[in-house]
Amino acid sequence: MEEIHLECLSKDFDGFVAVENVSLTIKSGELFSFLGPSGCGKTTLLRMIAGFEIPSAGRVLIGNNDITYLPPYKRQVNTIFQNYSLFPHISVFDNVAFGLRIRKTPKNEIKSRVMEMLSLVKMDDQAKKYPDQISGGQKQRVAIARALINQPKVLLLDEPLAALDLKLRQHMLIELMNIHDAVGITFIYVTHDQNEAMSISDRVAVMNYGNIIQAGPPDDIYERPNSIFSAYFIGETNLICGEVTGIEDDYVQIKCPDGTGNSLNIDSTFHFQPVIGQELTVSLRPEKIAISRNKPRYQEDINILRGVIEDILYLGSHTQYIVRVGALKIRVFSQHKRVYFDDKALDWEEPVWLFWHDTDTWLIDQIPENVLTAEELSEGGVNHYQRSIKRSAVE
Amino acid sequence: MKNKRIVNSNNALQLATDRRKNFTSWLLSAPALLWLIFFFLIPYLIVIIYSFLTADIYDVKFAFTLDAYRQSFTSAYLHTFYLSFRLALLTTLLCFLLGFPVAYYIARAKDKVKNTLLIFIIIPFWTNLIIRIFSWRIFLAYNGVLNNLLLSSGLISKPLEIMRTDLAVILVMVYVYLPYMILPLYSVLEKLDWTLLNAAMDLGANEVKSFFRVTLPLSKEGIFAGGLLVFIPALGSYLIPQLVGNQRSLYLGQVITYKVKNIPRNWPMASALSLTLLLIVAVFLLLIYFLYQQSKSRRQV
Amino acid sequence: MKRFSLGRFFKGMNLTAFTLVMVFLYIPILILIIFSFNDAKIVTGWKGFTFKYYALLWENKTILEAFKNTMLIAGLSTLISTVLGVLGALGLEYHKFSGRKLFSALIYVPLVIPDILMGVSLALLFNFTRVNTGMLTVLIAHITFCISYTIIVIRSRLEGFNYSLVEAAMDLGAKPATIFWKIKLPLIMPGIIAAALLAFTLSIDDFIITFFTSGRGFDTLPIYVEGAIRRGTITTINSLSTIMIGFTLLLVVTTKRIRKIVISSL
Repeated sequence: MEEIHLECLSKDFDGFVAVENVSLTIKSGELFSFLGPSGCGKTTLLRMIAGFEIPSAGRVLIGNNDITYLPPYKRQVNTIFQNYSLFPHISVFDNVAFGLRIRKTPKNEIKSRVMEMLSLVKMDDQAKKYPDQISGGQKQRVAIARALINQPKVLLLDEPLAALDLKLRQHMLIELMNIHDAVGITFIYVTHDQNEAMSISDRVAVMNYGNIIQAGPPDDIYERPNSIFSAYFIGETNLICGEVTGIEDDYVQIKCPDGTGNSLNIDSTFHFQPVIGQELTVSLRPEKIAISRNKPRYQEDINILRGVIEDILYLGSHTQYIVRVGALKIRVFSQHKRVYFDDKALDWEEPVWLFWHDTDTWLIDQIPENVLTAEELSEGGVNHYQRSIKRSAVE
Repeated sequence: MKNKRIVNSNNALQLATDRRKNFTSWLLSAPALLWLIFFFLIPYLIVIIYSFLTADIYDVKFAFTLDAYRQSFTSAYLHTFYLSFRLALLTTLLCFLLGFPVAYYIARAKDKVKNTLLIFIIIPFWTNLIIRIFSWRIFLAYNGVLNNLLLSSGLISKPLEIMRTDLAVILVMVYVYLPYMILPLYSVLEKLDWTLLNAAMDLGANEVKSFFRVTLPLSKEGIFAGGLLVFIPALGSYLIPQLVGNQRSLYLGQVITYKVKNIPRNWPMASALSLTLLLIVAVFLLLIYFLYQQSKSRRQV
Repeated sequence: MKRFSLGRFFKGMNLTAFTLVMVFLYIPILILIIFSFNDAKIVTGWKGFTFKYYALLWENKTILEAFKNTMLIAGLSTLISTVLGVLGALGLEYHKFSGRKLFSALIYVPLVIPDILMGVSLALLFNFTRVNTGMLTVLIAHITFCISYTIIVIRSRLEGFNYSLVEAAMDLGAKPATIFWKIKLPLIMPGIIAAALLAFTLSIDDFIITFFTSGRGFDTLPIYVEGAIRRGTITTINSLSTIMIGFTLLLVVTTKRIRKIVISSL
């Protein structure tokens, strides 16, 4: 099996740079995802691999074969299009048989292979139907069969679940994973939905403005984001800007202003060499923060904050808190592992302590002001900020 | 018992409303309907009647005879039918071959440009037919513009005799009927989902194969519509053969017109020929309808 | 760049076809226009620029008469066929009325048969009923072939009609008559205007049906032009044709403008 190499791929449309200098190797048999907001270039990248766009610069190789300038019908690559693009004027059977007929496969072979493929996607009893007679989920399965029957080296999927409703999406996600395991070829998946990308991929490439920001296994990207964009785009995080005040062997001390002029001390393990006085950002995931009205006895003045609860969102399995620490708004997810019947729940405007383990913070060599837009900054570095309903004044 | 009565009265109400709506529709449609009956339907009945009458120089004699039909099916007139049929077929084919790429080009053009391109097709379409034919007469005449150009540039030594030939007829026919083919084709191609072509190419079909397996089948309706809009009028065309054709081989439109307008008149024959033309058109339409239904029923599971 | 030569070839082919067709469509017309300014009786060579043949048009009584006739017929037939068309289209709204099938057939059939047949049938009708051919017969003929078009155009406008507007009006207390005049009619007005314009164009352009129903003495412009071509009096025809082309252009532009105005005024 062969690897796919993207070498210095760039694509610009009349001055607009859609993809900028992307280099990547996708291992054979991998389920690889390109993840990013709309307009980040992921679809353009996919189209260059499929053959519908010619790169402005760079090469695409499968194994040792340079396929950069090959037309789509000469590549051993097949695509699942966003709206499936099933041919409306022929039946499900004929749609799936299309590629085989082009290759002049003998009739009986066509019949057996098509029926085999249709039963793989559980559509064998719908072979005679026409695309306008089947549902969205069924169309997608036909699209998959139509692509896979040609035994491509790579299967490209362009936001395949975008047109489906939530329940179906979850179901099809698992189906796709199963098909990938059954067939074993490389899947390249493009999506803007991080849940999709993170849950099924072997590796994910996070993209923004035509560049790959970070590529790696999902847990790598989540726990060890290399940039503010990666930290911000995937999941939710608190971004706190600070200045390095001390460097020891295995930890770094950072002074973060809390907006009131006081500084908060945060320890952090580091993966790059910071310099005293350097400004950088600390990423702290909300689920890693412990929240309590009592200060833990062993805690020093490091990796701990004192704040006031501003918002509470009770979500059954966990509660989300927004805690005001000076001018900062820190988000905390607290899972309800055990319910203490004699313990009073935390309330609005209650002063609390926030604390975490020093390995829970992650340093990023950037400042939010340089990376995020004003709008994103105003959200306080949190995603999907929601205000909970405050209790009425009467109570 | 009470409930039953309510149900019944609802039914009665419904019936009354229906009847009222029926009556209003009738009233509104009546003028147009009556007009069409008197001036469209009845004239055809008269044509049928006349086809069984005897011809006279200026008028028609009310004496029953089958002469008109007998004459219509002699070899001379069958030849006329053949000529017209051949002309219509050839015109339709040429219009399709020329018109399809044009319709495709406009359908694929950028939105801003599309409208302008369409207007360029529509302007000659809306220009008076006679003027358009006339402009070709000037162009193709023995001492006309084309010949002058070719002579003065030395490409030919003797003027080309295109005017008053079958070539001229075909040329002008295609010229006149091209927009009738382009516009229906355009309206179908415009709605085509172009990602289907991407899918075909992705599955291994090159541009030629994608065209024949995807684009062409999906534009079937436009092809039928365009074909009809060209073929049927072309069958009955009078002006073009009359103004640019050679007067030795007459087409159906001309024959019918002579028999009505010229002295000696032969209205029975004109009627017989007209009805035969009508029959041919009807058969043709039924054929198309049948083919269309076939392609639709094939899809029923 | 070595790639997609087949695709490029097709694109080029389409472009060439398009340019060829454009040239094909416009060269004869352009030559016509140019030569209308030629100071010569026949089209052999350029003899000099002149407006004289335009001036001659003005003096030609026959042409002016034909023009008047054309406009009269077109105006009257447009009016009547549009009114009948509105009524007919409204009548067709209700799906179940008896006679609907006949009505529909009578509307659609004229559109798919060669118009020479309509000419012949009407000529024979007038002969049978001993009606003299002239302005009346031409008018009748024009109305007949226009009705199908007006009904279809207005009908298609009605089909896209949003009934919730009628229901809203009823909910607010409007009576059927009010609803018709204040809501339905204004909203289908673009369709009515389009139908009228179509009828007008068809009427001024028609030759073959007018030819069969006009007899001697009543000429419309197309009839006159055809006769002049046959007789060979080419000179003023060039200028006449150019004017008619100009008129067509005007009509195309106006149609688009009127549509925009009517739509935006609603």
